[in-house]
Amino acid sequence: MLSGIPHRTETIRAYKDRGGLVAAVLPIHYPRALLRAFDILPVEVWGPPKVEASYGAAHLQPYVCSIVRNALSFLQTGGLDGVDVIVVPHACDSLQGLGSILIDFIRPRQPVIPLYLPRGRRESDTAFFADEFRSMYRRLEEVTHCSPTNSELMESIRREEATDKLLAQLHQRSSCLALTQMEFYRLVRAREYLTAETFSELAQVALSQTIEAPKNGTPILLSGIVPEPMSVFESIAEMGGLVVADDLACCGRRLYPPGESEDAFYHMAESILHAPPDPTRGTPIQERRDYLLRLIAASGARGVAFYDVKFCEPELYDLPDLRIELQEAGIPSVGIEVDLNDPLSHQALTRIEAFLEMIA
Amino acid sequence: MTRDERRMTVSRGVCALGIDVGSTTVKIVAVDAGGDLAWHFLEQADPRVEDQVARLLDRARKETSQTSEVWDVPLVATGYGRKLVRQAGRQVTEITCHARGVYRELAHGGTLVDIGGQDSKVIGISPKGDVVDFSMNDKCAAGTGRFLENTASRMGVPLDRMGQVALAASDEVSISSTCTVFAESEVISLIAHGVAVESILRGLHRSLIRRIVAMIRTVGLVPPLMLSGGVVQNQAIPRMLEQETGEKVVLPSYPQLMGAYGAALIALEMRV
Amino acid sequence: MSATGWLGYQWNVNIVGRTFLRVQRWQVEQRVGGPARWKSEYLTPPLTISPRAKELVARHWLEARYANLHRKVAWVTSGAPVELLKALDFFVIYPENHAAICGTARVAVEISSEAEDAGYSRDICSYARTDFGSMLSGKTPVGKLPKPDLLLACTNICQTVLFWYRVLARHFNVPLILIDTPFVYYDEAPEYAVQFVKRQLEEAIPTLERVAGRSLDERKLREVGRLSRMASQLWMEVMERNDHRPAPITAFDQFTQMAPIVEMRGDAATVDLYAAMLKEVDERIARGIGAVKNERKRLLWDNLPIWYRLRYLAEFLGEHGIAIVASTYTNAWGELATMIDPEQPFESMARTYTYPILNRGTGHKLATMKRMIEAYHLDGVILHSDRSCKPYSIGQMDQRDRLIRDCSVPALLLEADHNDSRCYSEEQVANRLAAFVEMLR
Repeated sequence: MLSGIPHRTETIRAYKDRGGLVAAVLPIHYPRALLRAFDILPVEVWGPPKVEASYGAAHLQPYVCSIVRNALSFLQTGGLDGVDVIVVPHACDSLQGLGSILIDFIRPRQPVIPLYLPRGRRESDTAFFADEFRSMYRRLEEVTHCSPTNSELMESIRREEATDKLLAQLHQRSSCLALTQMEFYRLVRAREYLTAETFSELAQVALSQTIEAPKNGTPILLSGIVPEPMSVFESIAEMGGLVVADDLACCGRRLYPPGESEDAFYHMAESILHAPPDPTRGTPIQERRDYLLRLIAASGARGVAFYDVKFCEPELYDLPDLRIELQEAGIPSVGIEVDLNDPLSHQALTRIEAFLEMIA
Repeated sequence: MTRDERRMTVSRGVCALGIDVGSTTVKIVAVDAGGDLAWHFLEQADPRVEDQVARLLDRARKETSQTSEVWDVPLVATGYGRKLVRQAGRQVTEITCHARGVYRELAHGGTLVDIGGQDSKVIGISPKGDVVDFSMNDKCAAGTGRFLENTASRMGVPLDRMGQVALAASDEVSISSTCTVFAESEVISLIAHGVAVESILRGLHRSLIRRIVAMIRTVGLVPPLMLSGGVVQNQAIPRMLEQETGEKVVLPSYPQLMGAYGAALIALEMRV
Repeated sequence: MSATGWLGYQWNVNIVGRTFLRVQRWQVEQRVGGPARWKSEYLTPPLTISPRAKELVARHWLEARYANLHRKVAWVTSGAPVELLKALDFFVIYPENHAAICGTARVAVEISSEAEDAGYSRDICSYARTDFGSMLSGKTPVGKLPKPDLLLACTNICQTVLFWYRVLARHFNVPLILIDTPFVYYDEAPEYAVQFVKRQLEEAIPTLERVAGRSLDERKLREVGRLSRMASQLWMEVMERNDHRPAPITAFDQFTQMAPIVEMRGDAATVDLYAAMLKEVDERIARGIGAVKNERKRLLWDNLPIWYRLRYLAEFLGEHGIAIVASTYTNAWGELATMIDPEQPFESMARTYTYPILNRGTGHKLATMKRMIEAYHLDGVILHSDRSCKPYSIGQMDQRDRLIRDCSVPALLLEADHNDSRCYSEEQVANRLAAFVEMLR
């Protein structure tokens, strides 16, 4: 059992009280270390669920996913209180559009920093990404009037890398930790707003509390973008399921390996571009399949639950082929679509339950 | 089977119960030690699920001539309201239960299509009776019985005559709307333009069937094609499904009871 | 390439095929002139050059049928730097254009259903579903699509092309070249972004040459660049002539006539075609002929066309004396013309392909629309909220509000889809258009 994960609001307040700044960061990939080097705390905005969606709906059509629409609603209904800068990474057409309308139409008080994500892993992509980070550095200089040196940047990078290493260990050992499914995900998702230092402390405590016998349950791999509502973990547990491996955009797809370069910008670019396969980063389907099969073999998962937010195009294109390939490798899968503003529907729960019954 | 016949067979003893709490109807089935259907009952779904289940269990006890107060028969619940059945020893989804029930009755694998009032499912069943894949149309009414009910009622055609009327049509009008609500406006517009009711009704059935066929293709059609669910009583459905797929459609004797039957079979296993 | 392949190609395409198409065109030309054949009382008959344009496009699809016999085939996205491929003598196919043909021919739903049956969600782009459906079933209204030897996806029109082409790459098992063009959020793309695109173009050459089986000829590239720029400039002029009142052609004509500038850019025949089209447009202007006979009001169309309802929309609006004289969509293939520099091909291609309207911010699109309202003397705007095209559609709600506020023109947001007629509600669209038309009185 893990006690006392600090909440978002108290984390933000504490950080600001110490003189730091706060960045609201949209999904998915961005250089945490760069922001921290400027003493800016990145606080990620994944939705959240349960916002007054009509605000977002005034600017974004219904066929835009609820992560993006809710994000806009959230930012417009107090989500920007205490925020000093907004970072909008590029991951898909909807986030592209959100970044653009924030800059051109909504025009919040806070500076909006877009960040393009290259879709290959060629050297040219890494070089470009490094340049994007340099551009971001210049914007942050304007905001903070600070100019961290390369070695200060590298220090921030190393701190994040150490934390990411612990995060990876948490994922690897999830089945042996004394945490329920829900508690595990609350912990790993706290990386979305806690400082690296605080997260590392909590991770170390969690890693030291293991259980004797392995957990019971029909083992599955959870793939998708974001596990909302979080109550899905309780539901899965009640149905006798157990998530043993993670391919979620907010979690398992962001297990960043350390970079190599001595140049901080290039280093950060390398790290993100070598993260696990991700459709938003252009990974070919075959690579995604191979990666998932390796994860499945290592974790003992018996099936894959694709848990997506409705209208998510990066996910939808790959799914049919991916599912066929998995089936051919003897791995059944199920597809579930959710809307962040709806409670988990009876239908979605029945699908998961029927799937668990099928693979039990 | 008449009610008297049912009572007589019960002398072998009711060994397990299955209850399917659907959104439109609730079905309860009792099986004997051999897993054969011993007794059943069906009625409209009452929103007060718990009370209804208690009443039905009472009726089951009375009609199967159980005299003892303590009725130790295992019960498995399935269907939309399964989580509300406190008395159930286990809750299992309709997918698993329908497959189990149909497999027991027809004794072979294949592709099972269940068209319910509020959702429809296609279930791939292996030769051994396991669920190997499934597809559900549960997000909107357009692939369900509700689609036909709504639109047919606007045309003043009684539900139990829908199928006959549709089959009697000499031609068919294509309904392009995918949404039940839009389809209604489309139907009204067609009627206003003097299009025959039978042609429209046939077109509506075609829309539903096409949606079902699309689901079948997702799962992959492995013959034989089997049908279950209340909507199956509409004779146009199996007929048009055969037309669209080119496959003969096989119906179990009690298509509407397959979920409850499967649940009862699972309950029977719990006894062992 | 085998000798029999070459012979088969020559016979089928150059000897039999082209002759057949030429005869067909001649027959149509004889008929089209007569007023008796043209049924609309509100719309002027189509340009007399239309049969020739159709022949050009038909010839392209005829060649497509036999292309695998003797040429290397590339499937590319509509914003791709096609000049490189043309210089290497690839036969180029645009799946988007093919999908649009399916939409216009009203077979897109049937073909998409093949993809949907295979599990592709209806929430993905209708062009992609049409393409997947055709790929899986072989169904196509153009006879036969040649298999690609190479795929090239450029993200300047949207991100989903990459997801789409990854599926194609898996299916056809051929190399996929990515030209990733960073989105331009502000007025200008940073220089390092343009250099990134340039570098990708240069680094693509070895793979392109390997698949093509030949080396890139700089001279050929310059020539293709020159022809590309000429065709784009002519196309731009054709569209710009619509600032006249009455407009000689409508946006619907442009939608129908744009195929060559999209898929045969870089060919000499395309230059000739648009030169002839411009001449005919000028003749119409000289004679005061408008595409809509009693042009009363002039509109801008934003976003992709609704391919399966072009005729209905043209006639409905024409009946009310309303002409759609400009569109941001067709404009996209002309406004970058000046950037193509045949003498500096890689540098200028990098810029040209970074700056299409779809790769630029929502504020830029608004500014473009405002400019067009001014330049073409427009009375209103129809913004097609295309369910399948998020990069084009996101921002329209704010753009619409500002057009109404800043330009004092009515602006209609019309919800539909460019290729999937199941997302088009006849009643709803008719109602909204009727109300909008009343606002234009």
